[in-house]
Amino acid sequence: MDLIANNKRDVKKSDGNGTLLSVRNLSTHFFTEEGIVRAVQDVGFSIRRGRTLALVGESGCGKTATALSIMRLVPAAQGKIVGGQIVFEERNLLDLNEGQMRAIRGNRIAMIFQEPMSSLNPVYTVGDQIAEAIKLHQKKGRKEAWADAVEMLRAVGIADPQRRAREYPHQMSGGMCQRVMIAMAVSCEPVLLIADEPTTALDVTTQGKILDLLGELQRQTGMSVLLITHDLGVVAQRADDVAVMYASRIVETAGSRRLFAEPGHPYTQGLWESLPRLGFKGRRLRTIPGAVPEPLRFPAGCKFHPRCPKGRSDNRCRSVEPELREVEAGRCVACWYARGYEDKA
Amino acid sequence: MTTYISRRFLYTIPIVFGVLLLTFVLFTVVGGDISVELAGKGASGETIDEIREEYGLNKPLFLAWDSQFINHFKNALTFNFGRARDRELVIDKIKRGVWPSLALTAPMLVGVVVISVSLALVVASVRGSLWDTLAVVVCIAGMSIPYLGFVFFGQYFLAYKWGLFPVFFRPDLTTAQNVALPVLIGIAAGLGGNVRFYRTVMLDEMRSDYVRTAYAKGLSRGRVLFKHVLKNAMMPIITRVAMTAPFLFLGSLLLERFFGIPGLGYLMVEAIGARDYSVISAITFIGAILFVAFNLVADVCYALVDPRVTLE
Amino acid sequence: MNEQGQTIEARPGKGAGLWLNAVRRLCKRRLAMVCLGVVIVYFLLAGFVYLAEMFDWRVGPTRWGEEVGQSYAPPSSRNLLGTDIFGQSVLRKTLYGARISITVALFASLISIAIGVPLGAIAGYFRGFADEVIVWIYSTLSSIPYVLLILAFAVVLRDKTVLGHRLTGVAAAYLAIGLTSWVGICRLIRGEVIKHKDREYILAAVSYGCSRRRIILRHLMPNLFHIVIIDFSLRFVAFVHAEVILSFLGLGEPNRPSWGAMINDARMELSRGVWWQMAAATAAVFLFCLALNIFGDALRDSLDPKLRIQ
Repeated sequence: MDLIANNKRDVKKSDGNGTLLSVRNLSTHFFTEEGIVRAVQDVGFSIRRGRTLALVGESGCGKTATALSIMRLVPAAQGKIVGGQIVFEERNLLDLNEGQMRAIRGNRIAMIFQEPMSSLNPVYTVGDQIAEAIKLHQKKGRKEAWADAVEMLRAVGIADPQRRAREYPHQMSGGMCQRVMIAMAVSCEPVLLIADEPTTALDVTTQGKILDLLGELQRQTGMSVLLITHDLGVVAQRADDVAVMYASRIVETAGSRRLFAEPGHPYTQGLWESLPRLGFKGRRLRTIPGAVPEPLRFPAGCKFHPRCPKGRSDNRCRSVEPELREVEAGRCVACWYARGYEDKA
Repeated sequence: MTTYISRRFLYTIPIVFGVLLLTFVLFTVVGGDISVELAGKGASGETIDEIREEYGLNKPLFLAWDSQFINHFKNALTFNFGRARDRELVIDKIKRGVWPSLALTAPMLVGVVVISVSLALVVASVRGSLWDTLAVVVCIAGMSIPYLGFVFFGQYFLAYKWGLFPVFFRPDLTTAQNVALPVLIGIAAGLGGNVRFYRTVMLDEMRSDYVRTAYAKGLSRGRVLFKHVLKNAMMPIITRVAMTAPFLFLGSLLLERFFGIPGLGYLMVEAIGARDYSVISAITFIGAILFVAFNLVADVCYALVDPRVTLE
Repeated sequence: MNEQGQTIEARPGKGAGLWLNAVRRLCKRRLAMVCLGVVIVYFLLAGFVYLAEMFDWRVGPTRWGEEVGQSYAPPSSRNLLGTDIFGQSVLRKTLYGARISITVALFASLISIAIGVPLGAIAGYFRGFADEVIVWIYSTLSSIPYVLLILAFAVVLRDKTVLGHRLTGVAAAYLAIGLTSWVGICRLIRGEVIKHKDREYILAAVSYGCSRRRIILRHLMPNLFHIVIIDFSLRFVAFVHAEVILSFLGLGEPNRPSWGAMINDARMELSRGVWWQMAAATAAVFLFCLALNIFGDALRDSLDPKLRIQ
């Protein structure tokens, strides 16, 4: 635990209200055989220091693409960031060259992925893989980096870290691999950790433990977390702020409690209502009719309108896409019918 | 590790047995009684019987202690391959042919592997660009040209027309001079398919999740390719190298025939023309043994490269 | 129409969908289509020559060893590709050579599929002793370098009588290639069957009492078909090459022209500066194999998207 607490937090680099990362109008397109997939369109949200923002949405809505765009890990042959700004520590990441970006990856911004077992290199020991990041960013020698790696394993709750560091990923369980990934990510003390569905591939008990671990690390280091998930339970428990994503766009952002108490966008409302709840007896579970649109065949106007009870028959919803507007302090919605939306035009 | 090696070794025993069975069935059972041919035209019945006696062809095929199969088995394992049609000991012929063949095939193997893997890495790193497409096209073209096509270009242009290399084997030249052009041709012929395959392997590996993690850690493309991707690609590379071994035989066959190099390939071609079953059978057996040994070495390399292998 | 009155698109059944999709994707690639055209031309040529011989249409010389004209004439307006030692037109020989190569490769493919697919299915499905034996057989075969193996078979089979028929050169060639080359497809099929065997749809079929033979034929085979096709198109090239080598070494058909034999003749010719036979034969093989390779690749890409490279 000492290792993590022993960091030199540079708290100067954020703007007045403690915003660490500010994404504005981010758009990313992917090139496929069937056409251009607009996976991320006009996406905007902010993450504050030390807070956790949950990016919620169904599979295929563009959450992972957004995360990869922030890290600028979109392979050039597959896709391209076509617009927007990603302001991190007062710099627009999209203006940086590759070398500068590499200095940030794994160092100031780190990322962990969904499938921990395949995300680790099977032919190197876990100790080697953690030490690699340390050697790269902190310029430490082999022995020192190895010692640090072992310490990191201990810090993420792996027993007998000396022995484990010499093991290979296939010798470990899924939960342990995810801990290793976390150790690797946090080893250089990043200020932002992007966690792309970190617990989806794990069983329920392990899920809780991993999330607890993330929470603990966050408390100790003050790092922010961008938590990408489709699990509303996780959002309710762990997130400070929430951004809801649908069909490549952000449809709503708000503080977590506010959002659960009073969802503003019909999609969010539909999601909440479809959750089974204690006390619901004998009534059919409500669902959102229809299905998520395919990226190559997005509907015109508001992307949610075909499934929306209000927007389905509304001409405006069918033809004009509502932009994301701040309807009150700390809450943004993209819906013509949202309370307070018209006034803020 | 030693248990792993011994296990792999034990596995080769039924294979060797199978090979011996196959060569026996093929050359003795299907091939039939060649004593008539060996005796020559117009030979008397006595001569034919004598030959039968000498070659042991009058013994029962399988079901006796002294059967032909048992003898075949025993002989092969002691490298006693009998005599060729010209009465020389087969084993002597083989001993003579080993060095020239080796001088030809060993450089070919090393050259092909080293150059293809390097080229594949380079091509994989510029994936998606025009160079990549060009490389793929060249590779497919190279794969489609029959081996003999390469021999043609090499021998006709480089040796005959432009005189850069000797057209045929000449005993007065050094081994290097005699072997240079065939080796070049062999390498050129092997590049197409190999580079394409290794490129596919590299690209496949590059799509893995752990590569994404490596980039997310901030590693440069060179590091990711050479440290992470290459080591994982070693498994299929080793497999492919082991599979490339048979083509050394092909190369040796064709190149030795075209250039007149007196190696095992040349021996084989002569034996085919003369229907010399004992020579052909012997070379087939040796070829199989070499191949099996090659694969064993490859298995050991697997274990060295990939930690998942020994722990099965 | 669903409850809200919206129309839902009707989509074709999944089985038909895979093939239609594949064919559609394939047709979009013009290069692949061009190559398919080239391949078809070769096949038609081979078929034409085959039929011409069978029905004795007398379109070409019946005896290729006859001296008919000037030896080794270089390419000219009369003989577009020059002549060989007997004065026979090289162009004609090249065109006729297609027949040998393609028929040998075709028959060899059929033989190797006929042996490899059933053996692979049996080995994969029944496992146990049958599997051990079959694996042992093909491991043995694959331990002998391909070239040596084919040569060994070809030498032995030549001039032998099988079931009362005397084996001609061509027959010995395709038997030799076919009997030795089934290993690849056998392995592939076996691997796939093992993978599919424990899938739910097979377990479902077993649970409602499907006989084993029915399971193999009706449930497994359709899923393996695309592998057979891909393997066939890739192997064909190898078989053509193998035939060329056999002819080159004198183990092919002695009485008819073939590309391999032409190349063999060229061996001595090259040192005299006569290059046209070698060039023609090599070019013919090259063009065919190139077209087949490209088409085979495109075929594989459209049938098995997982194997696709960006």
